[in-house]
Formats: sequence, C-alpha cells, structure tokens
Amino acid sequence: MSHSDQVSAPGAGTRTNPGREGSSPRQRPSSRSLLASELKQLFRRRRTQALLLALAAIPVMIAVVVRLSTAVPPGRGPAFLDRITQNGLFVGVTALIVAVPLFLPLTIGVVAGDTIAGEAGHGTLRYLLVAPAGRVRLLLVKYVGAVAFCVSAPLAVALAGAGIGAALFPVGPVTLLSGDVVEPGEALNRMLLIAAYQTVSLLGLSAIGLFLSTLTDVPVGAMAATIVLSVASQVMDQLPQLEWLHPWLFSHYWFGFADLLRQPIGWDSFTSNAMLQAGYIAVFGALAYGRFVSKDVLS
Amino acid sequence: MTPTWLRWMPAVAVPAVIAAGVLAGSVPASARDPLPDKTPAQVLAMIAPHTTKALSGTVEQTSELGLPDVPQIGPTSGPAAGSIAELLTGPHTARVYVDGPAKVRVQIMDRMGERDAVRQGSEVWLYNSKDNTATHLTLPGNASGKEDRGSRMPGSVATPEQLAARMLEKVDASTDVAVREDVEVAGRAAYNLVVTPRSQATLVESVAVAVDGESGLPLSVEVRARGQQEPAFRTAFSSLKLEAPDASVFNFTPPPGATVKELALPSSGYAKRDLGKYGKGAAGSWKDEQGKLEKDRRPPAAAGRAPSVTGFGWETVVGFPARANSPAAGAPSVDMLLNDPLLRQATVAVPGGRAISTSLLNVLLTDDGRMFVGSVPLERLQAAAAR
Repeated sequence: MSHSDQVSAPGAGTRTNPGREGSSPRQRPSSRSLLASELKQLFRRRRTQALLLALAAIPVMIAVVVRLSTAVPPGRGPAFLDRITQNGLFVGVTALIVAVPLFLPLTIGVVAGDTIAGEAGHGTLRYLLVAPAGRVRLLLVKYVGAVAFCVSAPLAVALAGAGIGAALFPVGPVTLLSGDVVEPGEALNRMLLIAAYQTVSLLGLSAIGLFLSTLTDVPVGAMAATIVLSVASQVMDQLPQLEWLHPWLFSHYWFGFADLLRQPIGWDSFTSNAMLQAGYIAVFGALAYGRFVSKDVLS
Repeated sequence: MTPTWLRWMPAVAVPAVIAAGVLAGSVPASARDPLPDKTPAQVLAMIAPHTTKALSGTVEQTSELGLPDVPQIGPTSGPAAGSIAELLTGPHTARVYVDGPAKVRVQIMDRMGERDAVRQGSEVWLYNSKDNTATHLTLPGNASGKEDRGSRMPGSVATPEQLAARMLEKVDASTDVAVREDVEVAGRAAYNLVVTPRSQATLVESVAVAVDGESGLPLSVEVRARGQQEPAFRTAFSSLKLEAPDASVFNFTPPPGATVKELALPSSGYAKRDLGKYGKGAAGSWKDEQGKLEKDRRPPAAAGRAPSVTGFGWETVVGFPARANSPAAGAPSVDMLLNDPLLRQATVAVPGGRAISTSLLNVLLTDDGRMFVGSVPLERLQAAAAR
C-alpha cells in the first residue's frame, strides 16, 4: 500500500512527487536530503554516540574480565564464555548473546521512542511539517533513521567484540555449535550474519517505538513504554500458560540466531523471524500512520 | 482533507489481511489426491521392507508426560544437561541426515547449544557443545548388519522411523490396528496407522503412526494417553527431503580444545561400567541418555536375577531386582535414577516406596530397592510388588 501520495502537510498546499529531486526551492526538500539530514542528526547526537559506545563496551568488558580471571568452567555463564580464551572471535558472539535481552532493546527503545515525540518535545515537529516535508514522508524518514540505528547497534557490538578479542586472545579456527570447525574468515561472516539477524529482530520493536512515539509529546514516555513492552514480551514468552501466544511475540525468535552457528546453517528461524517482524512493521506502521496523519500537531 | 476514518483504514486492514493469511495457511490443503486404500497389513508391509535410505529432515518432538518442565530462560546455554528427564519434557527439535545405514548424523538443536551424533562407517562421534566434549566409539565390525545401531545411538530424539518399528512390534492379539483417514506430515500425504490397545488397564490410549504414501517411511508417531487431551508424546518430521545430504555433513573431527573421551564397547555390547563411572561427570548427559535408552530397549538379562515379568501385552509389568542382588550393576539401578535431580523431584511417596508417575508410564521404586515399570495404573505395580 502506498501512503506517499495521500496526505500533504498542512500549509504545503501542493502535492509533489516524493522521492524525486526538487528542482526549485519552492518544492519540498528531496527525500534523500531529508533522510541524509535525519541520519546526520541521529548519529551526530551525543546520545546516539553514547548508546553505541555503551554497547561496544559490553564485549570490551567481557574480554577484559575473562582475560584477567582464571579459566571459566565449561557450561557456566552465557554460552561460549568458556571458549573465549581459546578463540578471541567468540567475544563478539558472547557479547551479542548478552546484549539481546536488555541492552539492544534498551537502546532501540530510546532511539525509536524519540523519533516523533522527540521533535514534538523540542517544539520542532511543527517546523519540520511546515518545511514542508509531508507527514508520511517524515514518518518514513524517521523509521529509516531508527532502522539505521538497528543496523549499527549490533554491528557495534560484533565489531568491537571481534576487535578486542583479536587484541587480547589468539584468533584461530572457530568451533561451531555442531562441533564443526570453520576458518576465522568464515567465523567473521557468521558473526556479521548474527548481527544482521539482530537487526531484523529489532525492526518490529522499532515500529512499535515509532507508533508509541506518535502518541505522545513526551519522548521519555514513548522510550519507557517501548522498553517495557520488550521486557513484557520476553516475560510472556517464558510463561507456559501463554504457549499459544508465543509464536506471535516479537521477541520470540530473538535467540534463534544460534541456528546460524550450526553446520549446515539453519535458516528456518531467520525466515520465521523476518516474517514475524514484517508483520509487526506492517501493523504498527499502519497504526503510526493512522495516528500521525490525523494528529493535531501543536508543538 | 481525507476523512479521519480513512486514515485509520490501513491500521484495520493490515491486521485483517494478516489474520486472513494465517487462517488460510492453517487450513490443510485438501486438493491432494487421496492415497489408494490399503489395509493395515499392507501399510505395515510398506514399513517392513523399508530400509534406511538417504534423507535429510527436521524432526520435532513434544511431550506432555506430566513431568515438571525444565525452565529455559535467559541467554545461558539452556538447562542442566545432566538430566535424562530433560529430553522427555518440553519440545525438542533435531535435524536428521541419513545416507544409507552407515552414514547418519543427528543434531539435537538446543537453545544456544547442540548435541550431535555422527556415524560414518563404524566410527561414531558424540559431541555436546555445552561442555565441549566429544566422545568417540568404534562399533564392532558386524554393526553395519541388519540392526542399525548407528542410527539408534543418537536416538535421544528418536526418529519416527525407529519409534514406529519399536511400537509396531507390540501389534498382536491384544491390539486393534486400523488405517484411518490420510494425514499430511511435512507436506507429504501419509497413511494414518492407528494402534489401539484392547485392554482398558493400560495407560496408553492409542498410538498413531503416519506412513509416507510413497516411500513407506514413518513420518510421525503420536502416543495418546488415557484422559489427556494433548498427545502424551509426539515426534514428527516438520520438513523432509528424500535425497542424499551433502557428504561433508558426515565428516566429524573433534574440535580443538574439546575434551575427547574414548568409549570402549565391550564385546557384550554394553558399557555399563562406563555408564556408572561417567554418570555424574561432565560428559554424563550422553551416557545418561544412552543408559535410559538401553533400559527402554532391552532389559538386561545380565548377572544375577533376571527381571520378572507379570501380565502380558499392554499390561506387562517388568520388575527389576534390588541392586544388592545384582552386583554387576547391569540394571539401571534405583540409586542412579534417584541421583538424577529432576527425577528425584518427580517422585512422590506412595505406600510401599516412591513412584514416578507419567501419563504413559509408571515406575515404582520399592523401599527394598526393587523397581517396577509398566504402562499401567500404579495400583497394578503395587500389586506386582506385593506378589
């Protein structure tokens, strides 16, 4: 379904084709420049940089602690913790596993919850719409910005993990869950695949955050609600009484990336996860659209 | 301006479309040609000559045996691996690769972990990713004969094939066997062979085996218990390809850093002492599972007194003598069972000892160390113990 031509910003008056370069200054700013400025603004923010740094600190902390302590007995702690001393590349994988339940949703909640409500809270939303950007386009650009963060957050963990692991521990062939051994290059590939899996996992939560962000002018409220929902979803996923609900929870496949560490790779969970997240994007994207285009923007 | 209700249309339409899609997907496709009618005997005969062919598939197992669930929470590598009961609770998924009887690989896909069993020729490797242990054993020379031990060895999540063969051995005068309406398993049309005990005294209500209409390969096994809505035990292929998997799947060398154990198979075929020795060790999980399986398969007729058998057919009660009387420790002893934390938790005190009650099987551990097992109500076990 195409939203792009249905609504124009109040005061804009004319309808133009979004996605095409505006040739005269009277036309809307192009989608590309709008997106570029949004991304620039997002990644230039101190807060975004601090979030990414905090995520990158997880593998560093794990690596330093493991380096300084005695050998970890197998089977204790997060998966793969005991393998780190043998192979530095596991730092990235272990850190990703640790980051999935809370840290990643936390940062996504902050970014996605801030999308619309942040502008409203700063009183800049009105000007963005007067610019004139068009509400649908603004919504899309904001979501793409959140997606960009979803891509960069797991990558920050994985790359920082690979880097610190290579610095502190030997790097060699990596043992997969199946007991098969792959070369470091292939292992790095797998780690990037896991980061991609995490990105996909977080898309649904971003859509939820975007919708919540259209509901309020207080960004902190939308952030907190998004994070609470991610925790609630994981708690519900653990209750056997709600078994019928489990496949529908957006966090259900969050740990399914273990299938990428098997030999041969199991793609089932990746596909199921992608379909589930697509469903969440569609539903909450539509909700956000309904809310945002019918909202009275006063600030 | 578009009216407000129109703007909310997508928000209504999208969930409706998704719901419609899900409903449409869940309705079984009935357009498939029905399979030619066959009698139970014919369906059985389809299975009987069935030898292990090449296949790769995913098996899903669920059990509702009434045992306590093992919690699987958080980013750790899953439940304590040392419990034999773990495989009997909750769902499990395994990938199975078979290329002839001598090349088998089973991967039990745990949360953040995996247990592997690989057989190539007479070499068998068991690998557990949780504690990074590999166990090697060499099968005796005649192992590639009729009895396919290699494919059984990993059978912790038994393939439907193995289970069906075991179940169908029970078919005799005490049992009603019928072919019901065709079912679809893993996208393949299959005969639905239903075995119903004639006896009312057994806990088993029915056993249904789905037999692939083309190849005769059992695709699913479902065991129902009396008075229980959910199947007590179900294992089924969720996806299946009847073609040879990539040969590299069957190559296994223990990864560097893994603890490698050599498991010697005595000529008798059982490594019972090893079972006891490793039972509590890091590599215990595999041995425990094997011990359990071997117990299931054949009651040890070794040293000392043989187990007593009372009743017949579905009402059979098997009694194992006390450990003190069979120092060979051939039998899975009561002590060993009680050392399993989950099983100990599952036992309840009953007159005459402790009992483990599941929806399909009851086990009575008497105070004097004997053990009685049967798919019958507990009272019958107590009666057998008192005899």
